[in-house]
Amino acid sequence: MEKILEVKDLHISFDIHAGEVQAVRGVSFDLYKGETLAIVGESGSGKSVTSKALMRLLPTPPSRIKQGEILFEGKDLAKLSDKEMQNIRGAKISMIFQDPMTSLNPTMTIGKQVMEAILKHQEISKEEARKRAVELLQLVGIKNAEMRMKQYPHQFSGGMRQRVVIAIALACNPKILIADEPTTALDVTIQAQILELMKDIQKKLGMSIIFITHDLGVVANMADRVAVMYAGKIVEIGTVDEIFYNPKHPYTWGLLASMPSLDHKDMELYSIPGTPPDLLNPPKGDAFAPRNPYALKIDYELEPPMFKVSDTHYAATWLLHENAPKVEPPQIVRDRVAKFAQIVARKGGGSRG
Amino acid sequence: MARQKLLEVKNLKQYFQVGRGKVVKAVDGITFDIYKGETFGLVGESGCGKSTTGRTIIRLYEATEGEVLFNGVNVHGKKSKKELKELNRKMQMIFQDPYASLNPRMTVADIIAEGIDIHGLAKTKEERMQRVYELLETVGLNREHANRYPHEFSGGQRQRIGIARALAVEPEFIIADEPISALDVSIQAQVVNLMKKLQREKGLTYLFIAHDLSMVKYISDRIGVMYFGKMVELADAEELYRNPIHPYTKALLSAIPLPDPETERTRKRIIYDPSQHQYKEGEELEFREITPGHFVLCSEAEYKTYQSMYK
Repeated sequence: MEKILEVKDLHISFDIHAGEVQAVRGVSFDLYKGETLAIVGESGSGKSVTSKALMRLLPTPPSRIKQGEILFEGKDLAKLSDKEMQNIRGAKISMIFQDPMTSLNPTMTIGKQVMEAILKHQEISKEEARKRAVELLQLVGIKNAEMRMKQYPHQFSGGMRQRVVIAIALACNPKILIADEPTTALDVTIQAQILELMKDIQKKLGMSIIFITHDLGVVANMADRVAVMYAGKIVEIGTVDEIFYNPKHPYTWGLLASMPSLDHKDMELYSIPGTPPDLLNPPKGDAFAPRNPYALKIDYELEPPMFKVSDTHYAATWLLHENAPKVEPPQIVRDRVAKFAQIVARKGGGSRG
Repeated sequence: MARQKLLEVKNLKQYFQVGRGKVVKAVDGITFDIYKGETFGLVGESGCGKSTTGRTIIRLYEATEGEVLFNGVNVHGKKSKKELKELNRKMQMIFQDPYASLNPRMTVADIIAEGIDIHGLAKTKEERMQRVYELLETVGLNREHANRYPHEFSGGQRQRIGIARALAVEPEFIIADEPISALDVSIQAQVVNLMKKLQREKGLTYLFIAHDLSMVKYISDRIGVMYFGKMVELADAEELYRNPIHPYTKALLSAIPLPDPETERTRKRIIYDPSQHQYKEGEELEFREITPGHFVLCSEAEYKTYQSMYK
């Protein structure tokens, strides 16, 4: 598969009066053409900061990219000037946000806002832009697009506004669409519609999607690959099957086990004890160790490197080291592993990559 | 064993006047009971009236019509201050937003003890603080937290403070309005486990309002589904998920993404269209029992179809 974006050892810090908050502490991943990569993690894990850094949307100061590269079409986005970045942002990489209520301008008609995005990056006449805007609105499933062009955001429901936001993001046929919790503010039935729409459009236009969310159900629905973030690092990355059915990192175990599955009723929910670390003073060793019932002595001393599980699956935990003791993951995770074995057997050895 | 009804909601209506002559029927005639010691889940999409129902039950709003009986006593209607106080002590509420539901200028001790003060449950200062310490420990915080302010706590901890405040007056019944929606997944599990533990230890009854259906199923004994101010289906939690009858419930259940890629790949979403019922004019919709304990809002004709399908 063709690599479209490469993030290498990205470090981002925020300088505040109390010191330096190390929000992202060495993130590396690749994004392939046409795939959906989901980034999951709790609030404060650095998932939104990472995605905003790709778009260079973080205000400097207080933020700064300390080190690392973001390679896109032969350029390092981390080093581009604001002017150069403007030609990429919204044209080649675009972004949709969580709250469709605040990401539209309440004083401009929908049509004008969609056209603005087109005219900014393409040299076409206003009339053509208008036609294209109507097409875009139709593409995202807005009926009566001609009439809706003249309306204002307050005349749209939440789901419809998110469709408009998606239309704007698609205005220039971007190569990469970054979606930061695009359905969190929506009801489940509307969420399902928006997710279907995004998959549908991806099929038609062949773009890559980086999908940021904390909802594992949405991840299972959307993602080809999943990166799990904790305390500013990717702790596990793999295909969606590998992460959901063969997770290796205790944090991923905790996340999966703390969701009630629809058939485990009487068991107490597994909960990850404690709270995420303060990134103003990141702990020594593995940041997850204090909350990790499986933590080894070395976790408090030395950060684990990424261990390879398969060609597509990596996890940063000392449990994968050859000298580590064998541990049993929580019951729910063992059930998942068993289920995966069945799937693999049914498919005759090959799993979806 | 006959279950004891703690709360009876009878044909409750809550209309809001919006502008001239316009009325929003937020809750439009719903009837259900909550038994002692159970968790009743109330689900539905935004604007369906589930929060309004919770708030009307505890009398944050005056009901437009209908009754709410708590232990056989009507919550609404004319009440003396003393009667009101008595009811308020037995019913408490936990709110969605742990950032907005705690007064930022009060210490945790004062927030928790406010109810104790109002109801005169502690005779001396020492006793009051003793209660606060006990409550903090009950919800998994410690006594050092008593003199701090809400901003010093994380979302999950604040929600624990909110729970401690609700418990302070030793209520029988707690209305939890989306108590975990604002929290992270790993923290949600902590709070839900805490609520379950408290229920076991203190015999509490919960009305749990939420839109996260998998969590609702996990915590609830019975679940009511609301749609546009009406309750369309009510059943045991297991039964509702296994045999949803009302087409809206089916649509809602089919829309929840599950953390399981295999099922997601084969998901078939059902779309609900209110016109699919094809009700004739004058047909009366009633809440009818299809199988024991499983109620659906339907017409006489639908009732017969459902019965033949699920008997």
